Amino acid sequence: MKVFGDFWYALRQSKGGLAGFIIIMITLLMAIFAPIIAPYHPEQAVPEASRLAPSFDHLFGTDETGMDIFSRVVYAARIDVTIAVVSTIFSLLIGVPIGLAAGYREGLFGEITMRIADVVQAFPVFILAMALVSILGNNVQNIIFAIAFLNAPIYLRFVRSEVLSIKHRPFVEAARCAGMSNIKIMFKELLPNSLKPALIQSSVNIGWAIMLTAGLSFIGAGVNVPTPEWGSMISIGAPLIITGQWWSSFFPGVAIGITVFGYALFGDFLRLYLDPERS
Amino acid sequence: MRILKYLGKRLITFIPLLIGVILVTFVLVRLLPGNPAERLAGTFAYEETIKALMERMGLDKPIWQQFLIYLKNVVQGDLGESWFTNNPILEDLIVRFPATLELITFSLILAFIVGVSLGVLAAIRPKSIFSRISSFYGLLAGSIADFWLALMFIFIFFYKLGWFPPPIGRLDLMITAPPQVTGFLVFDSLIAGNWAALQSSISHLALPVLTLGLTVAAPIMKITVSSMMEVLDSDYINHSKVLGLKENKVMRYSLRNSMPPIVTILGVLYGTLLGNAVLVETVFGWGGLGQYVTQALVNKDYSAIQGFVLVATIFSMFVYLLVDLIYMAVDPRIKY
Repeated sequence: MKVFGDFWYALRQSKGGLAGFIIIMITLLMAIFAPIIAPYHPEQAVPEASRLAPSFDHLFGTDETGMDIFSRVVYAARIDVTIAVVSTIFSLLIGVPIGLAAGYREGLFGEITMRIADVVQAFPVFILAMALVSILGNNVQNIIFAIAFLNAPIYLRFVRSEVLSIKHRPFVEAARCAGMSNIKIMFKELLPNSLKPALIQSSVNIGWAIMLTAGLSFIGAGVNVPTPEWGSMISIGAPLIITGQWWSSFFPGVAIGITVFGYALFGDFLRLYLDPERS
Repeated sequence: MRILKYLGKRLITFIPLLIGVILVTFVLVRLLPGNPAERLAGTFAYEETIKALMERMGLDKPIWQQFLIYLKNVVQGDLGESWFTNNPILEDLIVRFPATLELITFSLILAFIVGVSLGVLAAIRPKSIFSRISSFYGLLAGSIADFWLALMFIFIFFYKLGWFPPPIGRLDLMITAPPQVTGFLVFDSLIAGNWAALQSSISHLALPVLTLGLTVAAPIMKITVSSMMEVLDSDYINHSKVLGLKENKVMRYSLRNSMPPIVTILGVLYGTLLGNAVLVETVFGWGGLGQYVTQALVNKDYSAIQGFVLVATIFSMFVYLLVDLIYMAVDPRIKY
């Protein structure tokens, strides 16, 4: 519990970190309690109530088909945050062990791994993600898979460079003398000591993943209409912008902005908290 | 000579990387469920038709031979045909490339100006309001979806204020385009002396460039701050201050010496912008590569998507290589 107490204390000292933490909590609560918070069903189209401006009945107005935008913004937190968090966990699960191995076994294996990472990272992220999702099929699993795959090299590099810098330290040598197997050394000694930069990055990456998901859905290569998702909601509202109905696109975009901002603030705080000597 | 030697060294890693990238785009389309020949022939095709098609497309050969065929075609500039436009894909891409290049080039120039000036201000006055504005801007700009920002700009500057033309294309419909020389409408209208086209193309460029430029300025600003701070802290700058050089001269020296990392990030951002342009082009009906690929997505025109991915990636790899060479030419301290 002491670790948690320290963390809580540091968090309260940092304005930005606290703000980020609160934003993250709000989006999580929004996602969990969506059915209670949302006044309308998120996919219920009411043609008579189309394009209504924000009012007490419809806090954020309604879109072209008469769906309540507030309810949809709330429900969309479910899909966006799930995709972002799950894909980030997956890319940690892919990137971290490979990074560990590539750092520990530098030779041919390490070299080949890094060249593969180079190839993946040579692609502009959005462009490859778009192609992957459209080819595998637009659904949530494939978006998660694509984002996880594209971000894994980032963690791989972070972990590998940490491992390279600590693997000749005495505590590793000691573990080897004590007869620990390579696998045990990697996961018991090296892993806990090389995870920090990857963890810090993961908060920022959750934000990026939300942005990427929204972008994909915006051009129709992501979550399908009418599933509530921020990017696809912006795209539904896009044609209405030039006729003056700004609310249909405005609110989901604000939701994206605040959420991504929250994860970025929290990531900044984590950097200071976990890795003070380097920042 | 130094540069040639370095270029040689870089090509040793560049060519395998290029082959890797081509391999990935090859595999990409192979991820599609089903047999490409069956897809092409349609659901009701005879077995013999499919067989003949497979033979013609080389699908009966082992997979590595198929890759070699693909590699050979790519090297010869044959990226297949788009079944939507019925043109060779490379031709389609080349026709649309200048529109996108103009957009992202002007965006990068704007981002450079905004990013570097904010960054320099924040670096020389670390406790001032500029520094706080710039760190806030850095976080904020990274959190805003550019396609959303584009829509908001359209709402404010086109719908409300009417300052800019409707977000459709690169020129007003009533204006004839100047003859193509550079492919950049701004320069082409200048060359042709067509002032109406010049004005129209600038006003069409303004909003998309503002959108992309402002979002991409943030990373440039961050790099400028950290690089400039490091230089300002160095001994030679302190030395020149002690010698009594004028402040703006010191600033000029330190800015020049903090350029290398900024130039590197510019190279990286050129590629990123190509990706972001896909979204922003869709909003503005730009008619460039981005819009071509979103159309291909809708039509499930997979070879067009594949071709675009390949061309965009190779483009950004070459920019990166070029930036490295410039870097090398500009900064004599770097040795390889």
